Amino acid sequence: MPEVTNCIRRLRFDNGEMTQQELAVRAGVTRQTIIAIEAGKYAPSLPLAFRIARAFGAKVEEVFEYHEAPPSAPQA
Amino acid sequence: MSAEQKRAWLVLIVTIVSVGGYVVLVPFVGAWAAFTFGLYFLLLFLPLVGRKQPADERDKSIARRGTMAGGLASYLAFVLGCMGTWWVAFAWKGQEQVSVHTMGIIACLGALVFWSVRSIVILVLYGRHVEADDA
Repeated sequence: MPEVTNCIRRLRFDNGEMTQQELAVRAGVTRQTIIAIEAGKYAPSLPLAFRIARAFGAKVEEVFEYHEAPPSAPQA
Repeated sequence: MSAEQKRAWLVLIVTIVSVGGYVVLVPFVGAWAAFTFGLYFLLLFLPLVGRKQPADERDKSIARRGTMAGGLASYLAFVLGCMGTWWVAFAWKGQEQVSVHTMGIIACLGALVFWSVRSIVILVLYGRHVEADDA
């Protein structure tokens, strides 16, 4: 499971079935990058995460969720 | 397909044609077959391929990782090439001199390894999970 998950697909649906191309233009990236982010294949940078959230009029934590990995035991 | 992917495929095609042409022509023209590596001059035109398509942070991140991997592999090939030359010439054949062409061959090998590894890594990364450089 990727550490950063997102609900971009649902947010696009909630925002009048916004297309990936439309979101890409608003966020200033290519459609391929939106596809990769939506599929969890690419973890975006902070500025891009904020731009995507802004495109939906949402907070960044409403779009992306961070799943903290369990800390590894310190070695003696 | 992004511009970087198109470039990577072009590099791989040029590499396959160059190496394949060399292998096929060596029995007929000997060392002159190395002229097939002149195709590598085509790579100078790489910036023209897909230049209308803008690159974003993911493209740049993948290209940077590909370049790093290509550079590391190329350096490794250079070191192994130099060590192999030393081993064959001095330790095995007992020669005290090495042809000046050997350095040219090692340089060609380095370029071949750099472009090939860079392209393969780029194509692989486009299909796998990648993180932004500052993520």
